[in-house]
Amino acid sequence: MGGYVLRRLWHGFLVVFGVTAIVFVVTRLFGDPVALMLPLSASAEQRAAFAAEIGLDRPLVVQFAWFARDVLTLDFGMSLWQRRPAMEVVFERLPATLLLIGAALGTAMLLAIPLGIAAALRPGGLVDRLVVTLGLVGLSMPQFWLGLLLILVFAVNLRILPTSGSGTPAHLVLPALTLALTPLARLTIMLRSALIEELAKPYVKTARAKGLSAGRVFGVHALRNVLVGFLTLAGWELIVILAGYTVVVETVFAWPGLGLTALQAIQRGDLFLMQAIVFTIAILIVVINIALDVAFKLVDPRISLE
Amino acid sequence: MSIRSGIVGATTLALVGLAPFAALSQEITVAIGSEPSTLDPHLRDDGGERQVNDNIYETLMARTPEGELVPSLAAAPPTQIDDLTWEFDLREGVRFHDGEPLTAQAVVESVERVIDPANNSEQMAYFGTIAGAEAVDEDTVRILTSGPDPVLPSRMYWLKIASPALMGSEAIGSEPVGTGPYRFVSWSRGNDIVLEANPDYWDGEPDVKRVTYRFVGEAGTRLSGLMAGEFDVVTNLLPEFTGTAPKSASVPGLETSVLILGTDNEATADPRVREALNLAIDREAMAQSLFQGYAEVARGHHVNPRAFGHVADLEPYAYDPERARALVEEADAVGRTVVLVGESGRWLKSREQIEAVAAYWAEIGLSPEIRVQEFSQYLDSLMGDGPRPDAIFVANSNELLDADREASFIYHMDGAAASNSDAEMAAWIDEARVTTDVAAREALYERIFRKGRDLHYTVPLFNLQDIYGLSERIDWQPRIDAKLMIDEMSVE
Repeated sequence: MGGYVLRRLWHGFLVVFGVTAIVFVVTRLFGDPVALMLPLSASAEQRAAFAAEIGLDRPLVVQFAWFARDVLTLDFGMSLWQRRPAMEVVFERLPATLLLIGAALGTAMLLAIPLGIAAALRPGGLVDRLVVTLGLVGLSMPQFWLGLLLILVFAVNLRILPTSGSGTPAHLVLPALTLALTPLARLTIMLRSALIEELAKPYVKTARAKGLSAGRVFGVHALRNVLVGFLTLAGWELIVILAGYTVVVETVFAWPGLGLTALQAIQRGDLFLMQAIVFTIAILIVVINIALDVAFKLVDPRISLE
Repeated sequence: MSIRSGIVGATTLALVGLAPFAALSQEITVAIGSEPSTLDPHLRDDGGERQVNDNIYETLMARTPEGELVPSLAAAPPTQIDDLTWEFDLREGVRFHDGEPLTAQAVVESVERVIDPANNSEQMAYFGTIAGAEAVDEDTVRILTSGPDPVLPSRMYWLKIASPALMGSEAIGSEPVGTGPYRFVSWSRGNDIVLEANPDYWDGEPDVKRVTYRFVGEAGTRLSGLMAGEFDVVTNLLPEFTGTAPKSASVPGLETSVLILGTDNEATADPRVREALNLAIDREAMAQSLFQGYAEVARGHHVNPRAFGHVADLEPYAYDPERARALVEEADAVGRTVVLVGESGRWLKSREQIEAVAAYWAEIGLSPEIRVQEFSQYLDSLMGDGPRPDAIFVANSNELLDADREASFIYHMDGAAASNSDAEMAAWIDEARVTTDVAAREALYERIFRKGRDLHYTVPLFNLQDIYGLSERIDWQPRIDAKLMIDEMSVE
């Protein structure tokens, strides 16, 4: 297992390097960051001086060499937009995003398991049809619209939750619910169909026939067999959310997380902050992937990590 | 008590302790669109920073809510010593929030900090002509310019004077110290900024005692917060929300939308075509349908109507599709492709304006081709070295309220966004920029903008209004310079 993790870390390093390099090149090739940074009224001389100050007048290769050197020491330079170290901004905003994602995905997973089981127990029954219908509704609801709707109901009409911002547990409820809905729907539907399929397998009948209780067959044998698929999908949800789905929710709820910051950095042409954010997210995704592989092994000993 | 109201009641009780809503009198909460990137008053060109710092810092000159330039930290309007030197007498008895007195030396230090190339300030776009500053005595300061600069008094309305204690200190970015009606209390990054009234303010302690800024980018969420009673003032209320908000107030804004026409482009080289492009548009109808009337039709040129140099009696373009169609036929341009470049989302309803205009152009026999570009690509089309588009949309903002902005940027052939090659007009604009005689300068601008109107260099559209949403208890008349001055607000 140790060798496997090391090898994955090496692959992860290549991924992070590749992603960072692509972002570096793309942000410099398309559009002029200086034009985005300065007011429209800035003169050509002011633009040139600004470009020289942040090193954008050098050839791309030289810029990249400097950049690579700095990255090795985890120095991502100053955020042009906030005028402080880019990594400082990232570390300030990352906890808020992780808290939001943790709350949302945790809720989704905890609710998906009982809902999926309830639906799978009696396929085609009332509960099943209800769960599937609600799941499809959840999948097709745009988060942006759902967020505003929740604000209208719970903050404006009922006035039991704040509309936006962060700082207290009450502030977390609406954004986490909004973010949880899509993964909840997808996880529930997936778990339901996997369970139905699993329960139809001969070993379930055998187990029941030799007198094992329904609960044991279900909880120990069937559920464990579908858990790897469930965790894979949950991991995928986590990565998708991390890689961008939080942006919408953070914008609607003015949640001071990394997604909102990434959006603002792009709008303002803040190259250095963008690089720091992409680098951090890439590392997180690599780490999550390795952690998931190890978790699969623990859940299902049949999986080989070699 | 029903179960639901029981839950609601219990949750409300639990929340009161956690999230006190802005209920106390004389304490207000303002929702602005973006968090200040820094509270350093000298480095960035950032709307969020200004919305907070305008209340903490002051400038030598200020504007009345109607836009008239008046002295602020200066005791009187400046006197011009020679072409390159302006002298300001400072107001007596003014102290910074840290107790330091306002001195000529403090002004010099702030000016020098902004223009220091090492600081790479984005505000140099406003201060490019300033060469330096010197203290004559304790209460008299001179600002030096690199060339004659009639706009200098307006520029000093933009340059904030910070406490000397902040110079060279890291704290200037996070703990501002000025002379203004409010002093800094706290900044919880990502969440809020709190200011409190300055009891020793030279112009009297303001009514509102404490203000909390919240940062909410999404317009629908700002409106919700206003309706939920969390906010007292929200910026940039969408025109269609004015009926929903508890109260709203509007004022002519700084931005004017305009299409710049490529006078050397094949499609738009003929002045008759350019006139037709103007006459084709029913601006009144657009102002009503897109902006619910919260937009003023531009008067034949794209200068902010409140700015110095705006020509009030220039004739607006009429809506005359018949004449436009005739002009297009006369110029043998029926079916001609006109490329219209714009962006989406950066300015209020920019995409909608572009699409409406293109539809009007199609009506008079042209075939407009819309290209909505990503913002940085758009900026390259607007200001890059490539070929000029036939027509490009821009919402031009005039912070200093001086016509030099519109003239230099859009009409001057070397201007960043100009699409003409009119050397004569460029010479007039250069002259106006250094003419310090007010009447002569005004006459020059009239000549410039008349020529622009006669040759139809642009398609001026609207001066857009700023709309603010207010809670029932707030009494406030917004300012035409878009500054969010808390000391002008009062709570009923």
